Amino acid sequence: MRKQLGFYIDANRCIGCFTCAMACKNQYHQDIGVIWRQVYDLKTEIYPHRERAFYSLACNHCENPTCSNVCPVKAYYKRETDGVVVHEQEKCIGCGNCIRSCPYGAPRHNPVLRKAEKCSFCWERIDSGLEPACILSCPVDALQLIDLATFEEPNAVQYPPGFPKFTSLNPSVRFRVAQSPTVIRRKRL
Amino acid sequence: MNSMELPLVIFTVLSQAAIGLVIISSIRQFAAEGPAGNVRGEWLAALVLLLVGLTASLFHLGHPLGAVNAVKHLSNAWLSREAVGVSLFLALVIVGFFSIKDRLSPGLAALTAIIGLVALFFTAMTYAPPGYPAINNALPLVFFLLTAAVVGASVSSFFTSQEKIPLLRLILGGSLAISLVVYLTVPFVWLSGGTVMHQTGIEYLTSPLYWSRIIIGLALPLAGIWMSRSIPAWIPALVIIGEFMGRIAFFSLTLHASSNIGGL
Repeated sequence: MRKQLGFYIDANRCIGCFTCAMACKNQYHQDIGVIWRQVYDLKTEIYPHRERAFYSLACNHCENPTCSNVCPVKAYYKRETDGVVVHEQEKCIGCGNCIRSCPYGAPRHNPVLRKAEKCSFCWERIDSGLEPACILSCPVDALQLIDLATFEEPNAVQYPPGFPKFTSLNPSVRFRVAQSPTVIRRKRL
Repeated sequence: MNSMELPLVIFTVLSQAAIGLVIISSIRQFAAEGPAGNVRGEWLAALVLLLVGLTASLFHLGHPLGAVNAVKHLSNAWLSREAVGVSLFLALVIVGFFSIKDRLSPGLAALTAIIGLVALFFTAMTYAPPGYPAINNALPLVFFLLTAAVVGASVSSFFTSQEKIPLLRLILGGSLAISLVVYLTVPFVWLSGGTVMHQTGIEYLTSPLYWSRIIIGLALPLAGIWMSRSIPAWIPALVIIGEFMGRIAFFSLTLHASSNIGGL
């Protein structure tokens, strides 16, 4: 398999602190209302403790990216070297087709530039041998950079509950699902 | 519905109205005995509808001057194919309009109608993206074909001769009846789907816009045709209002898959 970078999201470690989202904001200074990385809390039907388990999600840099497929002006391309999906904003005409098409809500509308934009996987940092800002900032190592060509983690899953399943896109993310916490009850006296 | 989608509502309804008008005009001229009616006026109406729709579609873009670049990705993007298809249809409508004397040549009428249908198919594929599970299927094509049929047949009544009104009543009545069945059934089918599809069904069934559209745009015109031997002028007006309401519902009530991240 060709090199394909992706995010490993350890929902068992994530504490929902939003540091990853803030690191992304600090790195790129997106306009107000534009969010590249979002932290979603798992609903109680999936995880029985309210707002105690989270998925930190950005662009999944899919193997078959729908944003790239539907873009009428070829503003997206997938890097041969590492599979990162790059949006060339100067080509974008703001049709919103990628925003409607991506089931993960990764491309966002920038109301100031009147164009779409999304997580770049910090490809400039990667090319310089650095980690993406979100991964570097995570205080509990809940986000990790993986290469799916060599990634071997038997307990990792691609489509855990709460993450939309679109096999035709083949999103480049893997998850470790959140374990239910041990409930310690006070012994009756 | 965000402000960027109103131009899409106008573009899709009016372009489908133009396609429907051209198709019904071609059928009416050659599929029934009697005078052709005001074919030139009918094609002019189709041309005006299409031009207004295309102008509206530019306002949907963040950068309208970049619209010419939208044909760059014909190999994959349905939107690029849509741009080419609608442009071809526009060119054929213009050629058709200027070549009409009493009638239009059957070959050109058929070609324009076919290219119109192809453009409508491309539009339907553009609005069936993975992001919206409820319409990531053939439903946009069905909805858009029905829009072309009901608006085309009802507006065509302004340009037809009296001898051909029964044919138009048949087409319009049939299309309205099918639309009524489809639009009443689809939200209930969505209820049996996954979470986002189910929520979309709930959004429709609890929306006053959806029910108003059923009554104003479908039930009342159908009843009007049933009780009248002609197509009164208020029927096309109600049909067009209903289609606009239905399209606003299409864009505003259909839920995106990302709205349920974190839920089952």
